[in-house]
Amino acid sequence: MDQDGEIILVFSSNTRILNAEDLLEEKNLPFTLVPVPKEVNPNCGLALCFMESSQDRIMPVLKAAELMPSAAYRRLGPEFSTWAFE
Amino acid sequence: MIYLDNAATSFPKPPEVLKAVAEALAAPASPGRSGHAPALAASRIIHKARKNLARLLGAPDNSRLVFTPNVTWSLNIVLNGFGLKPGDHVISGSLEHNSTARPLSRFQREGQVNWEVVPPGPDGLLKPEDFKARLNPKTRLVVLNHASNVTGSLAPAKAIKEAIGDIPLLLDAAQTAGSMPMDDYCQWADFIAFTGHKGLLGPTGTGGLWIREGLDLRPLSVGGSGSRSESLVHPDFLPDALEPGTANTHGLAGLAAGVGFLLDVGLDKVRDHEMELTQWFLERIIDIPGLKIIGPGPGVKERVACVSVVLDGWSSSDLAAALESGYGIMVRSGLHCAPLTHQFMNTMPGGASRFSIGYFNTLDDVKTAAWALSELAAKKPSRA
Ligand SMILES: Cc1ncc(COP(=O)(O)O)c(C=O)c1O
Repeated sequence: MDQDGEIILVFSSNTRILNAEDLLEEKNLPFTLVPVPKEVNPNCGLALCFMESSQDRIMPVLKAAELMPSAAYRRLGPEFSTWAFE
Repeated sequence: MIYLDNAATSFPKPPEVLKAVAEALAAPASPGRSGHAPALAASRIIHKARKNLARLLGAPDNSRLVFTPNVTWSLNIVLNGFGLKPGDHVISGSLEHNSTARPLSRFQREGQVNWEVVPPGPDGLLKPEDFKARLNPKTRLVVLNHASNVTGSLAPAKAIKEAIGDIPLLLDAAQTAGSMPMDDYCQWADFIAFTGHKGLLGPTGTGGLWIREGLDLRPLSVGGSGSRSESLVHPDFLPDALEPGTANTHGLAGLAAGVGFLLDVGLDKVRDHEMELTQWFLERIIDIPGLKIIGPGPGVKERVACVSVVLDGWSSSDLAAALESGYGIMVRSGLHCAPLTHQFMNTMPGGASRFSIGYFNTLDDVKTAAWALSELAAKKPSRA
């Protein structure tokens, strides 16, 4: 099995990420808010982070609420790659 | 002190508001700018204010609710950002505050728009059909003061929107937000402008605007937003597009608490309390010799808790001063930044003395005010 990476979602606005936070908290889903990694994205502020293994529980919730990110990354150790999301 | 100047700014604020502002002031407050915990806490404060207001107005998408320093600013964002062009026609009610009347008058004087004012009916109330009758192919916007800060009369906003159809309605809810249930307003209004320091029980320096989906505004000012920092182009998505610069986190902490307090109490209850005191006051003062109520009298339901009066032999300012010095009652005299209204009510240039009731006033407060008015009616001002 592939190693479980971290998924990092960047949103266009702070309000969107906080709405995403409310929603995921309501549903008790595992995630954290982290500073946007400057290695990959120049945005100030916060990103939504969760383990890749949780994606099937998290992404549909965000999609249903029309809270899709503006960019997404996968991190494995120090390595970042862009992450294609549906 | 008996404070009856809630239409200017509400007092007192609930203890929760004082606490929220103090707590916010005791922490770093740079919302949306950094990734550390205090910055996140500041962002959450603002988010809480946004969510509470979205609930109060029934906004389906809280990102379309933006914060501003006050309702004057919100109204100007719409009037200046809506893209009005020379020849466009704008209709407003006749009970507008200067915060819409001055921008419209400036457009008119500069030849930018053709501004038409709908006069009130014989009962002092605005009629939806009078708005409809003035529509023409160039009409781009209808501007409406939801409730007069002089007469207290409440405009039939929803019926006016129904009468004007697709023409966007800009509602100045300065005197109504927080004083009555409005949780269906986002279903039919187009722009709702509010101020934080009146009925919403927040601090001064807070206000906002809700914008219907599909309506775009060109920002009056652009700058730092915390989003898309790599770009020289200001973001075009809400709320960031209309919130340049560091937000008033301390003030918005108080506003979130003020609105939270109102949602807990229930807007029906707030409205009932304010109307009960207002009707009691109107019934008591209507028979005072020489006193004239400027606006709807007792029994009229289409009103808010603000009552202006003129008393024979007294200027509005002498009356206000006598109420303060003799009885410790704070009211506002003069024109209340609403010369248009005073023109329609024939109270120019002297204005009127305005008693405005808030959620924290008691029956005793208005009893004292009614009694003070009847005593003063029997006297003449000491200067006269
Ligand atoms: C109807 C109305 N509109 C606008 C305003 C302006 O409010 P602010 O000074 O908070 O912008 C007021 C109050 O002063 C008002 O009563």
